[in-house]
Amino acid sequence: MAKRNPDGFLPLKTNWFHIMLSLTGQEQHGYGIMNEVLERTNGKVRLWPATLYGTLKRLIEEELIEESDERPAAELDDARRRYYRLTKLGRRVLAAECERLEELVGVLRSKRRLEAI
Amino acid sequence: MIPFCLAIYRRLARAFPHEFQMVYGADVVQLGEDVIEEIARKHGIFGLLRLVADLAWRVPMEYLSEMRKDLIYAVRMLFKSPGIAMAAVLSLGLGIGVPTAGFSFINVLLLRDLPGAKDPKRLLTTELPTSYVHFERYRDHRELFSGVTAYVQQVPFSVAIGGRPERVFGQLVSPEYFEVIGLRAMVGQTDGLVVSERFWKERLNADRDAVGRMLRVNGHAVTIAGVGPKDFQGAQPEVGADLFVPMAMQAELVPDLGENALHQSDLKAFDVLMRLEPGVTEKSANAAVETIARQLDGEGFDADRKQKAQHVRLLPGGTATPMPPEIKAILFGLLGTLMAMILGISCTNLANILLARAAGRRKEIAIRLAVGASRFRLIRQLLAESLLLALAGAAAGFVFAYWLMGAATTMLRKFVARQVPLNIDLRPDGHVLLFTFALAAIAGLGFGLAPALAATKTDFTPALKNGALTQLRGYRRLGLRNLLMVFQVAGSLMVLVITGFIVLGVPAKQRHVTFDTSNLYLMSIDPVRDGYSPDQTAALFEKLRERLRSAPTMENAAFADGPPENLFAASTAFTVRSLGGEPAKVVESVSKAMASANYFATLRVKVASGREFSVRDEQNGSTGSQPAIISATAAEQMFGSANPIGRRIVNEKDSFEVVGVVPDLTSRGFGGKSSPAVWVPFTKRAYSRPLEGGVTLMVRAASGGDAISEIRHEIAAIDPNLNMFHVRTMREDLDVWNDLIQSAGTVYAGFGIFGLILASVGLAGVTAYSVAQRRKEIGIRMALGAKPGQVLRLVMKESAAMVLAGSALGFLGAWAGVQLLATLSPDLAESLHGKQPLLLIGAPLLLGTLAMLACYFPARRSTAIDPLIALRQE
Repeated sequence: MAKRNPDGFLPLKTNWFHIMLSLTGQEQHGYGIMNEVLERTNGKVRLWPATLYGTLKRLIEEELIEESDERPAAELDDARRRYYRLTKLGRRVLAAECERLEELVGVLRSKRRLEAI
Repeated sequence: MIPFCLAIYRRLARAFPHEFQMVYGADVVQLGEDVIEEIARKHGIFGLLRLVADLAWRVPMEYLSEMRKDLIYAVRMLFKSPGIAMAAVLSLGLGIGVPTAGFSFINVLLLRDLPGAKDPKRLLTTELPTSYVHFERYRDHRELFSGVTAYVQQVPFSVAIGGRPERVFGQLVSPEYFEVIGLRAMVGQTDGLVVSERFWKERLNADRDAVGRMLRVNGHAVTIAGVGPKDFQGAQPEVGADLFVPMAMQAELVPDLGENALHQSDLKAFDVLMRLEPGVTEKSANAAVETIARQLDGEGFDADRKQKAQHVRLLPGGTATPMPPEIKAILFGLLGTLMAMILGISCTNLANILLARAAGRRKEIAIRLAVGASRFRLIRQLLAESLLLALAGAAAGFVFAYWLMGAATTMLRKFVARQVPLNIDLRPDGHVLLFTFALAAIAGLGFGLAPALAATKTDFTPALKNGALTQLRGYRRLGLRNLLMVFQVAGSLMVLVITGFIVLGVPAKQRHVTFDTSNLYLMSIDPVRDGYSPDQTAALFEKLRERLRSAPTMENAAFADGPPENLFAASTAFTVRSLGGEPAKVVESVSKAMASANYFATLRVKVASGREFSVRDEQNGSTGSQPAIISATAAEQMFGSANPIGRRIVNEKDSFEVVGVVPDLTSRGFGGKSSPAVWVPFTKRAYSRPLEGGVTLMVRAASGGDAISEIRHEIAAIDPNLNMFHVRTMREDLDVWNDLIQSAGTVYAGFGIFGLILASVGLAGVTAYSVAQRRKEIGIRMALGAKPGQVLRLVMKESAAMVLAGSALGFLGAWAGVQLLATLSPDLAESLHGKQPLLLIGAPLLLGTLAMLACYFPARRSTAIDPLIALRQE
């Protein structure tokens, strides 16, 4: 497949963003992703099971994430579960989205500062 | 609660599409089981509901996303083989377009309710117009009908709004008219003269103050009482009614109701519309009305009615076109069968094309099945393709039908508008669009399903061996399909020959006149409707003729009851009085027309023998001997070679003396014969009642110049209130008919081509399928040394056999059809004299060539089969 432009995916859908964020730096299974998102957002964002797997399927189709064939240490491994990780493209897309959000926040802050003066 | 939710959750999870289920099904269930207790704890019942709802929402979404992928894939596959896609869309476009046009016709004529009518199912009408006396008796039966009204339709009025009068069509109505149909006036009230909404908008500028204003109707000032409801153009609205004139208005205003029309029980000019009382059935109402009619007829009003078994018949009256149920059934049945046949043929073609395609894709399908795609999924994939084709076909078909019916409407309006303004639009509407897409869905599903099932039934192990045949199917498997093809070829040959016969006969049906049409103008006036008495009318014509003839730019002028060679002229029988010993002779179907003095001079037709009518003939309106002029054909048929001048001919009760013979005014090409014609003088007697189409004024202008405004000026100088309508040149008058014939010929030619295309596409499909089926056999033959030409011959032989068998069958049918047509229309046969062999040999040749060409292209593929690959198939 030809190299795809990460900007084509922006802005990311909320669900996509949260899932990809929980896969940075670690591989995760579905249950883990759900829990991490729940914790990170203080219970505000719950990825319901069918939505979660539907979204995972789309992300795999878009080649943003992939199934991992490496398993974690045996005592942590849940043999029934499948693990997912970001692809190269996925990392680039996530980085681009983060940059976009940072810029947005930056604009917001400078505007607030201006108002404060 | 939790176990119950979990049970639903598990069941729902099983409903995911096969592929999703294979990969994620277990995970989804597992995750649900893992979190359900926590969710119940945290969010209670709403959390549980949310969990199930999430799943219930995702299941259809997954199916949709699959469908989207199927469609994208289908589009890609179709673009890969544009030839097949084009053939399928063309075949289906015609196959759907023609039934759509047919349904559009049915929709307009049979299915539409009377616009604006309240509860149209409760309205009944009499099948035939009846007398006012009958109507009054029906009306008195309050226990049957909550209301009954009578009206006379298609009544022309001469209406002047400020300036010059125009001819407007309307209805004469009884006082209950609007109430019975259930209509209220949009502006004003319905008690009095009501104008239609269309008239109000187009002629009165939608002015609300128009109510209460004066309108000159037939020369009398009448106050407008109200404006009718939106879109209402009268009961039976094909002839749009713009005026609703109460019958109670004075007789001078409505000359059609002169001579005490409301009290004559034999004047059957009144259509009756009745609204049933609740609880009364159509049957019991009919029985009661029948009794009334029998009583009336028993009272001696109407003797000849006794002959009939049934005196009155009631029909549903709430539709735009009341029609007896059995005729409706025939129309539905006939058109329905025809439509189903056309759709069936093109769908069979589609199925053949798809089968051929599926056979070529056996390997692709087998691989997908082998790697775990479900059969259901593959069937859906194949169905997506056939549905896509069907939708494209439906779009093409709808456009085709819209164009066809638009052209038909224009033609019909142009033709009928000479007599009455036709308020009909045959173009398909929203209902028809729905119908078209329903047809497409049926075509796509019905005829895509069988090939899809057949294609995915493959036992995929041998199929994987490079597309080998699982089984070499014998010819018998193709038996039904082949038979169908034979019939299709036969059918299209019949259609081709018969339509060719009609198309070649077009010139014979066209009107060709022998007289000079240059600078000849026609227009109609209707002085009786403009309030003239018979004497005034006669005087008016005298004055008008003098003025027109003395005008420097005019050469001559005359009157008649219709244009020369009027298509609508009354056809009647004349009896030739015997001279000496020969018995009386009757000549049938002679066209009879009234003509004024100078008629033939104006036409620049030289009287062959005798004289033409003089002014004295017009004034001599008494019962005594009247003169008549006959055409050359009439002279030959009536008197043979004898001299007709001075001989007597009798028509009904009138006796005429032949005073002149004129050449035939028409010539039918190719040596055909003209029909006999007789002219009688235009006398005062003709003016006592308004003529249906008014009086046709015929003026020959000297040359050039704006003759029409000149004539208008002359007429206005005599009486500015005289209504002048239907102004045209003689050439235009002829062209309307000739154009109609021409376009009918085009339509027939279209049918012929349509049959050719369908048959060719069908043959190409069958051949392609047979080539795909016999790949292995062909490969072996080639490996054993068969040359491409030999292989081609092998494949073509089979198609040629079908074409030959079909042609032979079709030829017999066509021959019979042509003989039948020839007896039905002798002038057609005559004009085709000498061309029949050309048609009967040329048409099969054309069809055969096209059909073989259609077979050749798919057959040529067989020569491209690589024997190496074919042999590896085992």
